[in-house]
Amino acid sequence: MNVETTVLLTILVPILGSFAVPLFGLAAKRARSAWAVLVSGLTAVLPLTLLPFALQGGEQVIRKPLVQGFDFILVVDPLAVFMAAVSSFIGFLIVVYSLGYIRHEENQNEYYLMVLLFIGSMMGLVFSGNLIFIYLFWEIIAIACWRLIGFYREPAHVRKADKAFLLTFFGAVVMLLGFVQIYGVTNTFDITAMRGTLVPGTAVLLILFGLFSKSATVPLHTWLPDAGVAPTTVTALLHAAVLVKIGVYAFARLFIYTFRLPDGWREALPIIVMISSLVAAGAAAVETDFKRILAYSTVSQIGYIFLGFSMMNAAGVSGSVLFILMHGLAKAGLFLCAGIVIHAVHTKDIREMGGLIKTMPVTAVAFLVCSFSVIGIPPFGGFFSKFLVILGTVQGGRPWVAAMALFTAVLTMYYLFKVFSMVFLGEAKHPAPEGTKSMVYVVAALAVLSLAAGLFISYPMKLANIATTQMSWWLR
Amino acid sequence: MTPKMLLLPILLPAVLAVVLLLLPRALRLLRDILAVAGAGALLYYAFVFFSVKDLRLAVPWLGMGIDFDLRLYHFSSFILLALAGFLLLITIYTTVRMKDAPRGREFMAYVFLTAAFANGAALANNFVPLLFFWEGLLVTLYGMITIGGRPTSGRTAVKALLISGFCDFCMILGIGLLWSVAGTSTMSDISVEPTGLAAVAFVLMMIGAAGKAGAMPFHTWIPDAAVDAPVTFMAFLPAAFEKLLGIYLLARISLDFFKIRPGSGLSLLLMIVGAVTIVLAVLMALVQKDLKRLLSYHAVSQVGYMILGIGTAIPVGIAGGIFHMINHAMYKSGLFLSAGSVEHRTGTTELKKLGGLGREMPLTALGFTVCALAISGVWPLNGFVSKEMVFHGAVETGSTIFAIAAWVGAIFTFASFLKAGHSVFFGERSKEVPAVKESQPAIVLPILVLAGLCVLFGVYNKLPLTLFIQPILQGRGEAGAHVDFTAHALAVFNPVALISIGCLVLAFLLHAYGFRKGGRKAYLASEPIHNLPGMHQAYDLAEKRVFDPYDQGLKVIRGLSLGLFKGIDRPIDFFFEKIVTFTGAKFTGILKKAHNGHYANYLAWCLAGLIILAGLIGLLAQ
Repeated sequence: MNVETTVLLTILVPILGSFAVPLFGLAAKRARSAWAVLVSGLTAVLPLTLLPFALQGGEQVIRKPLVQGFDFILVVDPLAVFMAAVSSFIGFLIVVYSLGYIRHEENQNEYYLMVLLFIGSMMGLVFSGNLIFIYLFWEIIAIACWRLIGFYREPAHVRKADKAFLLTFFGAVVMLLGFVQIYGVTNTFDITAMRGTLVPGTAVLLILFGLFSKSATVPLHTWLPDAGVAPTTVTALLHAAVLVKIGVYAFARLFIYTFRLPDGWREALPIIVMISSLVAAGAAAVETDFKRILAYSTVSQIGYIFLGFSMMNAAGVSGSVLFILMHGLAKAGLFLCAGIVIHAVHTKDIREMGGLIKTMPVTAVAFLVCSFSVIGIPPFGGFFSKFLVILGTVQGGRPWVAAMALFTAVLTMYYLFKVFSMVFLGEAKHPAPEGTKSMVYVVAALAVLSLAAGLFISYPMKLANIATTQMSWWLR
Repeated sequence: MTPKMLLLPILLPAVLAVVLLLLPRALRLLRDILAVAGAGALLYYAFVFFSVKDLRLAVPWLGMGIDFDLRLYHFSSFILLALAGFLLLITIYTTVRMKDAPRGREFMAYVFLTAAFANGAALANNFVPLLFFWEGLLVTLYGMITIGGRPTSGRTAVKALLISGFCDFCMILGIGLLWSVAGTSTMSDISVEPTGLAAVAFVLMMIGAAGKAGAMPFHTWIPDAAVDAPVTFMAFLPAAFEKLLGIYLLARISLDFFKIRPGSGLSLLLMIVGAVTIVLAVLMALVQKDLKRLLSYHAVSQVGYMILGIGTAIPVGIAGGIFHMINHAMYKSGLFLSAGSVEHRTGTTELKKLGGLGREMPLTALGFTVCALAISGVWPLNGFVSKEMVFHGAVETGSTIFAIAAWVGAIFTFASFLKAGHSVFFGERSKEVPAVKESQPAIVLPILVLAGLCVLFGVYNKLPLTLFIQPILQGRGEAGAHVDFTAHALAVFNPVALISIGCLVLAFLLHAYGFRKGGRKAYLASEPIHNLPGMHQAYDLAEKRVFDPYDQGLKVIRGLSLGLFKGIDRPIDFFFEKIVTFTGAKFTGILKKAHNGHYANYLAWCLAGLIILAGLIGLLAQ
């Protein structure tokens, strides 16, 4: 199978597969679940087959001519393959976990439909080489996300879903304005045709508004903690695999692969994102709702990814690419552990939990491992990504920003261990057994992967390095 | 011997750790045999490596000039040997001491995992592998303290993790800066002048190294862990491994990476840190009522001597600091293991409840006494030799104040060990603990081995000095100068040694006075100093943790977090939740009112629109 077919299948299988979910739902519950696992599994495998191509540093542009100026363009390069592989793989694990998590809920047809559509549009966005198609997939994701956040249908939840949708939609429209302004300069939406263009500062501002709203960066972040009302699987999907990673991915795709950033923005960006990171870490240290803490933690970690990319040197960019993988694995693990706990004790307030390590040993250890990885402690994978980002920041001549990033890491350690101590240690308040097997296996797998990613770092690192050299053309 | 062999000290303990963790409880005997045999094999290879001394393994790792680079040379092979020796003794001790402890299996696994990380850190010749192994120790540190199983163990573990983590993160920043200045991350290629940015890098890296060694103000988790963590852990990490690694790195930083000169500002900074650590920690140690806590404060205080010695930047001082590191690891480990032996039999380490155990536990008492005399610097034990070298170095710098601080430390060190030994093993037999027996051979053996080494390294100090210490300093200082510190190692008739011996006599008198004042109760011997005007208030504040940077730091973190949350996060959310929705509702409300269903109203709108359109067209037509 050649690259073109594989990429088209990666996008079409989940999108078309998602619409078949209700049909299988009509037949039988089991058939629907099997179909969802099959489709997401296939979506996870397809990008993996592209890895050899990516590891050779291959780059291929696929064009399907449509209406003038709106060609369907796909860019297959190491960055896209990396992102697609990470997202679809974590998405697959979350689908498997969902089997246990939402098996007693209503509206499962819609749930699986939206989840698959979500993953599918993510694949589309990742490979898109046309600004308009990036925007289109961006909005499909927003719609799927809106339905999923309000999954439980309670009025308060629907309101939070509306908040998330309106904010990210508003951001996206502003971003579209930015795209239009760029069109004014370049007369094309094809990003392969405008590599190396210096974009106007206002267009950068408009686009960043969209990216920051999607990637939940201060001051456009508060919808993300509120989205914690969704089923935990959805939150994990939003945080680890699909939604918030779009912003950072689009940043890499647009501002590193395609455009050149004006110098003013290169000066200002590291400070903006680190303030975001610090504020979110502070909020995470104050919150007492399990999922809100983790949500703020994501906002905080996203700051690091932006930081590495905005430094635009080899260490920073490859650190951030790696960060997408490490954070995806660890944060998915943390949320799914939280899901097991919340499912069992029926509360989200960490003050009402305690001593769960006795009844949930696997979950507790998985949580600990993923925490270590998020903080950036070896031998877990998160160490390398965070270290490289900070190294890149120092090498980029911004030691104060690096110091702030390290202080934020101390804060991260503080609040994650506060959570761990309150939830898993101490005296047991609600002794409760662990969830179903599929749930426990998935969190264990994520913990093991976080460890393996650190021990065998040279493999993901190789791809991250290739992706970095491939996209940062000015470094060559 | 191929370079690949260098992976052995890392992989063997790591694999053993996994195996030990997975072996079921029923196979405990096999587990113990495997552990002891593994540690023995590591010690054997450490000797082999020590004889080889020169080996390098560098394989590409992360790209960007970051190799997985391990280098064996005399300094790292010496550290490797010391680590392996302690590992074997601790393993033997653990087989009995942690036999029935809950999570004992886990403890053994952590011991070996720690050994793997520590060996890696000692061998690393590139900053990234160094950080990988160095920071990896945080994981086992956290795990081992929680095994203590007391209600506060979790809290202490987090405290240790946060403090050590903070130090490690400082080191990351320092390494980043040094990397930018030197242009490489290969440790053996780096040697820069400590000026400007490099000086900042030095201070940050020093925080990392000194923090690992437990210097002030990064020490406060150690006394807490003495109570909350298993005593074996104390003998293993804070007493031995962390000191070895921390001082090893500190020596590398100030000898290799940066050219620190005597009398320079950074040398002075190191000496101040050392002197302050010596005096303040020993004053805290003096008044402790629990043997383990007392020992833990000494574990902090003694680091001061090492840092002071290295900080002098004078060969004899540096050699003294490094020699003190290995000596300290031996006697402090021996002391903690003795405390563990006492606790093993009596179930307590409170000085008040113990007394006169010497007759029932003669071997533990012997080991404890030798180690206590060694730490106090009594002639002719190893502590005397290394302390003398540090004193000489401090005097040679010309800043006598540092030598005085070191001597003050020596007085109170001896005084507090007189108190501790007297309370536990000598004096009247206490009635609070029932009759006990001497501990099992596996517990006593490591203590006696360590005590024996203390005697050997003192009486025959030529052996460690020529074998381990002097090669490290060879070729530094004036070119061609012969490095030899053995000449005056045990000499008594020089001013420095005479003052030190005077200090010991003073300490003895202090103890005797306090003993008589306290109604012939040894554990009250430190009360006269405790009750000195001014001192008492200071001690009370210290009890309340006013001086604990961790507690103060947590307050700052909490305050800052609350400030960020209430000051930035919530107002932003308020904007979206209230202001945006309110204006939205108002705006749509106005539009809604306009659409009231009255025909005349709509007609008016249409007319108004037409007029505006006409006006616009008119404008455009012009």
